[in-house]
Amino acid sequence: MDLRKLQGERRSREAGKLLPYAGYIIQSGVAVVLLFILIAFSAWYTSVLKDVPAGVPIRWIMLAALLPAAVHSSFRTYLQPADAVFLLPQEHRMHEYFAPAWTRGTVWKGLRLLMALLILWPLYIRTEESPKSLLITAALLLGVKLLSAYGCWRELKMLSPAASAGYRLLRWAVGGLIIAAWLWQPFHKGLGFSMLLAAAYLAALAVPARHAVPWERLSAQEKVQSGRAQMLLGWFVEVPGRQQRVYSRRWLSRWGAELPWRRDSAYRYLLTKSFARGDILGIVLRLGLLALALEWWNRGSLVGAGIYLFFLFIVGVQLSALSKLHGDSFWLTVYPLPENSRSRSTVSFVFRAHLALALVLWLPFVAAAGSGMLPRALGTLAAGAALVLIVRARLGRKMRSSDDDDF
Amino acid sequence: MSAAPVLEITGLTGGYSLNKPVLHDISLQVQPGEMVGLIGLNGAGKSTTMKHILGLMTPHKGGIAVQGRTRDNDSAGYHSALSFVPESPLLYEEMTVREHVEFTARAYGVNRADYEARSRRLSELFRMEDKMDSLSGHLSKGMKQKVMIMCAFVASPALYVIDEPFLGLDPLGIRSLLDFMLEIKQSGSSILLSSHILSTIENYCDRFIVLHQGRVIAEGSLADIGAAAGKPGLPLEQLFYELVQGGK
Repeated sequence: MDLRKLQGERRSREAGKLLPYAGYIIQSGVAVVLLFILIAFSAWYTSVLKDVPAGVPIRWIMLAALLPAAVHSSFRTYLQPADAVFLLPQEHRMHEYFAPAWTRGTVWKGLRLLMALLILWPLYIRTEESPKSLLITAALLLGVKLLSAYGCWRELKMLSPAASAGYRLLRWAVGGLIIAAWLWQPFHKGLGFSMLLAAAYLAALAVPARHAVPWERLSAQEKVQSGRAQMLLGWFVEVPGRQQRVYSRRWLSRWGAELPWRRDSAYRYLLTKSFARGDILGIVLRLGLLALALEWWNRGSLVGAGIYLFFLFIVGVQLSALSKLHGDSFWLTVYPLPENSRSRSTVSFVFRAHLALALVLWLPFVAAAGSGMLPRALGTLAAGAALVLIVRARLGRKMRSSDDDDF
Repeated sequence: MSAAPVLEITGLTGGYSLNKPVLHDISLQVQPGEMVGLIGLNGAGKSTTMKHILGLMTPHKGGIAVQGRTRDNDSAGYHSALSFVPESPLLYEEMTVREHVEFTARAYGVNRADYEARSRRLSELFRMEDKMDSLSGHLSKGMKQKVMIMCAFVASPALYVIDEPFLGLDPLGIRSLLDFMLEIKQSGSSILLSSHILSTIENYCDRFIVLHQGRVIAEGSLADIGAAAGKPGLPLEQLFYELVQGGK
């Protein structure tokens, strides 16, 4: 059996599933808005570079932007649950199957890291008092990338889920310390520390017991990766049957219990639970925190309002992805739910959540309102409310047409 | 039996393709308080019959009524009157056991106090008290099947459609399920049950319907099935062999 060929065929098949959507992505309004935002960002960044403000915390900005790009690692293995039975006899040769996945995952993420570095570099050399060499910085970051990719692969193979989670934290800490040491310390000191830390990390990775091939974990991981690709695609076009990753989030387990005990709130109950334990909540929270930080930094200028509307739009796109959940649920066909329950509950849920976030994300401007900028702050809020209403109307139209199609 | 049937299927012809029906002119009834065993080989049409009852497939010919309602004239009433236990558990990964039961109770409009009492009773009966707050993805296959059974029973409708419920259940779970089915039957609800474990259902079902190649080839009590097979007095399993392959 040619395992390398099998992996290649599966990869092509998976890509073939996504390819038909390429045209729709180009046509979709979301793609146009993102392109517009990209152009606006480029113009803003160019103007910042022309007139760099004093006191930019460039080392912290470099650390915050480069750490995720250098440490985050994942692999598309295209492994299926049935492989645990049918490919088990090939376990001793599975490195042939995994090698392309490992290489491709690391190369693409390495390129992403280099792009982030190249975008930040003009700002870095204008603001840093004693900037490091671009080539050596790039080489060091690629070293961190390789180290992280290897660490991530080892984590997947560990027998104990607790050890795997612990080593994941260690990977982020090691990556963060190496990049920080490079940015803050003199050349030799930073490099020496990085080498020592990397060696200690590699030695630590050899300790935990591990599977030869972690079949179940890899096929679960593949399901998550595939779900993420579908989710990304779902921002632009309708993708049927998307599944989301589930987190237990015990602290949110009571959310939904307070809903009225009525048949027409049954779907709302399911949707609330799906949101509370799904990946969309995590994405929205991360976007929200990033938006609050950027808005606070730019609260006195129009750029702040632009950031507010941009993030509110992205949050709206994310929340609208809830409309794709349970679209082909068996039980929604069998259970006696009121007609259009799914579309009504989804639109109402997304609208409320989006509106609440519009208010929360506006809070940094309240601080600026005191210094004579109240009209601008109120205008920003009004624009945010209008955006929420537009997202609601768009989602309502989409779900109504989907109900009509089902009918 | 003079009472109006809970389930009435008349001249049902259906399947996945119009040109190649799986079911051929099937007619059957399930009376109130009756447990009926639907038996047949793999591919005989049991699951297809159930899918038609659930409204997941549209009949090519014939009709299906539950408590006199059809999906065309009263879809909500039709679906409220039946609940289903599938052969393979179908659960939402985002919900715990308790939340699945609550979602079902809400969807069926079960009164909150009734839901709480039934949920407590079912979790005790199927020994799931410790698992009520576990996410469905963390359950074993047998436990997932128990959740399906608990969801169907918390709805307390007039008709239960149960497809191969014993798969994955431990012996105590099978016993609890059988005892509970007897209890709900005595309370007046009806059960249409499909199973391959004929020796188990032989003593629990009031009547049997033998499907073979999409047709009803025998129907009635154990004695009626024995008469149809020409071998009265034999156990159900033996009679089934006689009917579908002439005793070979």
